[in-house]
This record gives sequence, C-alpha cells and structure tokens, in this order.
Amino acid sequence: MSLTETAQQIRRRDLRIPLGAILLVIALTAPFIGSRYVTHSLIIALIFMLPAHGLNLLVGYTGLLSLAQAAFFGIGAYTAGLLAVTYGTPFYVNVVAAGLAAGAIALPLGIPALRLRSTSFVMCTLGFVIIGQAIAKNWISVTRGDMGLSSIPKPHFALGPLSFTVSGTMGFYYLALAIGALATLAVWAIVRSPAGRNMIAIRENETLAESVGIPTWRYKLIVFMISAVFAGVGGSIYAHYLTVVSPLTFQMYYSTTMLIIVLGGGAGTISGVVFGSLLFVGLTEALRITPELRMIAYGLCLLALVFWFRQGFAPLINRFWNAIGGAK
Amino acid sequence: MFSTILEQIVNGIVTGSVYAIVAVGMTMIFGVLRAINFAHGEYYMLGTFGAWFSIDYLGLSYEASIVVGVLSTIVIAYVVGKLVMQRMVGAPAESGVLATLGIALVLQNTVILVFGGGYKFFADGYIEPVSILGFSLAQQRILILVVCLLVFVGLELMVTYSRMGKSMRAVSQNVDCCEVVGIDVPQVVLRTFILGAALAALSGVLTAPVNVSVYGGMGELITFKTLPIIIMGGLGNVRGTFFAAMILGVAESLVATYVGLQFRDTVGFATLILMLMWRPHGLFSTQARF
Amino acid sequence: MTGLPILEIKNLRKSYGAVKAVNDVSIHINRGEIAGMIGPNGSGKSTFFDCSTGLAKPDTGTVKLDGQDITGWSLNRIAREGRMLRSFQKTVVFKSLDVEENLIIAGQMFTFPSLWSTFGLGRMSRQRVSGLRERARELIKMAGLWDVRHQPAGNLSGGQQKLIQFASMLMPDPKLILLDEPMAGINPKIIERVVETILYANKSLGVSFLVIEHNIDVVTSICQRVIVLDQGQKLVEGLPQDIIQDQRVREAYLGG
Repeated sequence: MSLTETAQQIRRRDLRIPLGAILLVIALTAPFIGSRYVTHSLIIALIFMLPAHGLNLLVGYTGLLSLAQAAFFGIGAYTAGLLAVTYGTPFYVNVVAAGLAAGAIALPLGIPALRLRSTSFVMCTLGFVIIGQAIAKNWISVTRGDMGLSSIPKPHFALGPLSFTVSGTMGFYYLALAIGALATLAVWAIVRSPAGRNMIAIRENETLAESVGIPTWRYKLIVFMISAVFAGVGGSIYAHYLTVVSPLTFQMYYSTTMLIIVLGGGAGTISGVVFGSLLFVGLTEALRITPELRMIAYGLCLLALVFWFRQGFAPLINRFWNAIGGAK
Repeated sequence: MFSTILEQIVNGIVTGSVYAIVAVGMTMIFGVLRAINFAHGEYYMLGTFGAWFSIDYLGLSYEASIVVGVLSTIVIAYVVGKLVMQRMVGAPAESGVLATLGIALVLQNTVILVFGGGYKFFADGYIEPVSILGFSLAQQRILILVVCLLVFVGLELMVTYSRMGKSMRAVSQNVDCCEVVGIDVPQVVLRTFILGAALAALSGVLTAPVNVSVYGGMGELITFKTLPIIIMGGLGNVRGTFFAAMILGVAESLVATYVGLQFRDTVGFATLILMLMWRPHGLFSTQARF
Repeated sequence: MTGLPILEIKNLRKSYGAVKAVNDVSIHINRGEIAGMIGPNGSGKSTFFDCSTGLAKPDTGTVKLDGQDITGWSLNRIAREGRMLRSFQKTVVFKSLDVEENLIIAGQMFTFPSLWSTFGLGRMSRQRVSGLRERARELIKMAGLWDVRHQPAGNLSGGQQKLIQFASMLMPDPKLILLDEPMAGINPKIIERVVETILYANKSLGVSFLVIEHNIDVVTSICQRVIVLDQGQKLVEGLPQDIIQDQRVREAYLGG
C-alpha cells in the first residue's frame, strides 16, 4: 500500500516540471493559438483570479466566509477610474492606489465586522456590498451615479523616452498575465510564511490558536485587509480593461463568482484558485454562456460543492493527474 | 405636515407587514436548521410569478391566482426541501449559506430564462381606495395588514398548541434530544420550510397588486430586506421578527420621504450593521425563541 | 525573589446571571510547585481556570503572574507574554495538520518577535522555523510520537492527541502550565506517560503546574498541595494526604 503510494508520488514529482513547463508555454502562447475572443476570456479569468486569491486567504486559509470581496473590487475599480479620469494618473499609480484604498477601507470595516461570528459576519460583509452600491449610485458629485465612469484610458507606460500604450487585447493579456503571476507569487509567499501557518491554525481551531499565543483577532484583521488589497487591484485592472465602471460593480454576482472560483477550485490551495478562475470564468466566458445559464450552473456547482465535493473539484483533477502518472 | 407623517407611518406598517410575513418563515427555518435561507425571497418571487402567470396566461381571477401562486410555490419548495434543505440538518452554518445561495441562483435565473428578464405588469387585485378615519387606503393594503395579523396570531397558536408547533420548538432548542425522543427532525425541517416558503409566496401574491411590476430579480431584493429583519429580531424569534419588520417598514417609508427615495433600500443593512456593532444578539433577546 | 509565588490570584469572582460560578476565591501557586485542584462537578473549577487564563473575564479580583498584574489580558497575550499556558478539558489539536506542524505552530509566537515578522520568508525566518522544528522533534521523541509525526493529528487516538497537546505546551519554555483534567478519558498506559512528562517538565525544565484532576491517585502522587473548590468557593487547601482524610471534602463530594 505505502509502496505504491511512494511510487505514485515519485511519478507525480517527475511530472511536475514538464507539466509546469507545458502550462507556461500555453500561457505565453495562448493569444497566438486562440482567437481574440478566447484571449479576452483569459484576460477576464486572470482579472478575477486576483480577488479570488484574496478571498482564498480569507476563506481557505483563515476560515472566514466573506461576501465583501465585490465591495472591495468595486472600491478598487472606482478608485482607479476616478484617478484616471479626473487626474489622468498613469496605470501603475492607479493600480497601487486602488489596492491601498481598498485595504485602507477594509480596516474600519473589518474592526467591527470581525467581532461577529459565522452567520452574522457573512451578513455584515453582504451589507458592505449593498451599501457600497448605494454610495456608488447616490454620491453623484463624485461617482456620477448610475451613469458611472466612462472612457477610462487604456494602460499607458512611460519610461524616459520610451512610452507605449497597451491597447490591444494581446498586449492586455500579457499585462494581466504578469500581474496575475505576481499576485500568485505574493499569495504563495504569504501562505508559506510562518504567518500562513498561523492562519491555518486559526481556521482549524481558533481557541486553541489563541491558547498558543496567536493573536487571532489581529491576524484576521490583517488577512481581511490583504484580501481587500487583492480585490482592489483586481478591480482597478478591470476598470482599465473595460474602460467603464458602474455601480453594478458592487454586486452579489461578483462576490458569488469569486466564491465559486475559490470553493470550486479547492479552498486552501493556490493552484485551486488558478484552476477555478480558468474553469468558472475563462471557460464560461469563452463559451459565451448567457449570464442566466452561468448563474444556474454556479448555483448547481455550489450545491454540489457543499454536499459532495467539500474539497472542491480539484480532487477530480488530481485523480486525472494520477491517471496520467500511472499511464506513464 | 402631521398627516403626511401619519400617512407615511401607515404605509410603512403595510410594507412592514409584507416583510413580516416573508421574514417569519425565514426565522422559523433558522430556528429548526440553524441556517439562514438566502433563497427565501425567491419563494416570494415564485408566488408572484405563479399568480401573474395564471392571470396573464390562464385568464384566472385574482382570487384563484393567489391559490395557484401559493400552491405552485409549495410544490417547488417540497422538491427543494427534499433535495437540499433536509441535507442541511446538522451541517455547519457556512454550508447553509452556500447551499441556499446556490438555490437562490438556480431559482432566480431559471425564472428569468423562462419568462425573460424584463418587468411584467401585474394588472389585478383590489386596488379601489377606501377611506378610513380620513385616510385613503387601497383595499389591497388593508388586506395585507389583516392577513399579516392573522398569520402571526395563527403562528402563535400553532407554535403553542399544535403538535407540529411543539416539535418545531423542540427541534429549535435541541436537535440531538429530538432524535433521542423520536421526533423526526428531517420531517419537521421539511414542513417548517414549506410553511415558510408558502408564507413568502402568499406575501408576494398579496403585494403584487400594490407593486404592480413583476420581475425575476425581485426575490433577491426581498431577501436583502428580510435578512436584516430576522437578525434584528433575534434569529428564530417570531415576535421579535414582527416588531423588527414593522420598524424597518416605517423607517424605510420615512427615509424615502424625508431623506430620499434612493436611500430606502439601504436602510435595512445600514441599521443591521449599526446594530450588530451595538447588540450582536438582536434587539429582542434570543432567549425568547418562538 | 524566589519566595514570590509564580501565580497569585486574589478575590476572584465570576457570575453567570444569578449563578455565582466563582465566589471570592484566592489562591497562589509557588514557584516550582505542582498544585492540584479538585472539587465536585459544577464547583467552579473550569470557570476559575477560564478567568485565570483570559478565556473569560473575571467580574472582580486580580491575577498576578510572576509579580505582574495580568487581570483582563486576553488568552493569547497571557500565553505569549506571560508564558502561562493552559490545556482544555476536551482535547484539541489542529486536526488536519501533522504532529510536527502542530508543535511548530505552538512555538511560533514565542520565537518571532512581532506579528509582522511572521510574514517574513527570509533567512532569519527560515532559521527560526528550523530551530522550532528541531525542538519539536525532540519533544515528539520524548512524547513517544516519533512514528506518527507526519500523520494528521486528527487521525490519532485520544491519548496521542493529549500527548500532542502536552508537548505543544512545552514548546515555548513555559513558566506555568494549567491542566484541565489531563487524565480524563485516556487509558492507564498513557496516564503513566503523562505523569512522567509532567514530572520531567517540573524537575528538569522548572515548570510550575496547576492541575485540575478527578483521578485522586494521580493527584496524591504528583501534587505537593491540593486546593478544594466547592460551590464556587475555596473549601480547604493542604497536603494531599490531609485532604483525602478531610471530612468537609468527603461531604462535598457526597453532597452531604
């Protein structure tokens, strides 16, 4: 039994490098292989991967179910949009500012919200989305209400004499890919650090974590803020890609999508989020599934995840992985 | 000036009654399942659609459409209850949130897919105004008030005296003990759930003539209204829910008139968040369950 | 300095509604001592523990650890800054993590100087973690868990989980350990092992103990002094052999 297991593990390790290389090649050449629409789908998937990574830190690693991700996504989108439209600040400034703004707003929201337990916490985070939408709709002097912000410029970079604008789908794909890769690396670093271990301890048993000296409340607040930063950055890129932002960015729809990515991909794993964004956002976008059908599929997936696939759909992939390992 | 305020308060109480009938089912389901039903507003929507369909397509009268709306919702609730809600017995709170969120997505979007996402016109009901004590109030609104009172008196009686009410109370207090003394917990959950969904549907059908428009997303809006109510009322507390619904109804109506219509839909969650900070266990103590 | 008690609790009170769970209890634990606490069920032992360790807030009274007033500190701060650790009546471990990780987590907050430094991945951070791993392995060997060290803690037996919890508490060089019924529900073989570990920690590592325990044999064999609680009040304290002879204690247990 254990012998076959180790054999399988070795095979799996052998596969890891070539498979990773294949994935890298696919990621780098995707815009040349697929159509423009497929590239567009991949961009959307890469953008949604950011808030999903943040949510994974919260749900998967720290064990806090939050619906607030859409609120921070919206805050990021509006921050970037407003800066770009009003002050004409460059793309990278907007992205950083959006992340910081979302993280900063998460602090006063997180302090009271994190004192609440399970259901009340979920409810409170849902409230943030709803109130965020109301503010975006009604603070007309700043947000232009229901009209939203339009003609947000495409990312523009200026390095001394060199300057270029990322306007095409292909250019934006590589930009999104680079940011997505950086974000994945950042999550990896957080998870692998001793703090990541403490986060898992909080998820596993909060009182026990307290009793070994872990300041659980402060960790939860920090993770809540980090997750907001990821969502804010994601929102800012979304705003620059679509060039418009409307109050509908604050919607349960987005929170649900991010939740599906994390839970469906496998909460508490980094590869799960990458896989989840490609499957639930990239694929549905590429297949041009109508929003209603997509939502029905998400709903059914949620039910399946709760009752049958508690570890997400990743174990299925794992089994597949093992199968190729066995075939080799 | 004074009469406007009074009128707004009366309007608020009518709205509060609508919320109360929906919320009471949600809070009872929480009582037996320890899970918040994120899909509860969808049964309100289903009831309304059932009635609208039977009037527009089948040419039935409003009275008959009430029956069709509520019965068709009961059928759907039975299926959902059997397939999903009964599985949630003893599951952690997060599973309940996710599963009911899933149901909400399926129900809402299936209706939009079948009937289209646009607004539909609900052209029936008792809309003649009558004047009482110097107020002019549509008959339909009076009907809503009366039904709300009847529902709550009925529920009080049922919970106190009937066998089902007693077993509901027992389940909400201790699930493990119920299994020991032979109460069929899944059965109680199913019945409570169907009762709650039927009440939500009834509320929807009764409100349709007042709201006039019918659309697929209306359930979500109601869910977002009733979530704060059941938490403010102290989860599982029927009387608390009644008062919280009335307070929210009146507050919304006053905010809509004196602050701005656009802020009406935020009142619930804004109050909820303030309250959670101040009294995390609800305005009315959680001790008084049912 | 050494004459000062390691833990001194004065006039502790805690009520839940009308129930006075702990009613004016004062005790002290001497440095290097193993003290026992017994009392019938519902006598307030667990509430007393919770109030002393920061899991619950006492209504009135002071808790002094090593001369420092720690009343009202949170559980994590008392553990981290006071190095006073506690176990729980119901054994708890980080179930999905393996034994080694359980112990490393138990030591982390005592090794890293600040919360922010735990986010580090640099050489310093790696060195600290490998130091913790070494210490964890020593303790795992001592607790006889070497063969299962890479298994998820949740898969192990109740007794083994108890040993994990115990080893976890020894990770950070504690000053004082409060044990809540460490022998409940484990087999005699593991009881022996736990007793050995307590004695080892006490003699070689200089850890003081306060132990709530129903197993009177264990109490008389390891404790130098026993405190008896009854109905939220301290009934009597003294040498173990005197306590088991005491008429009041017998009456309290028999409900007389």
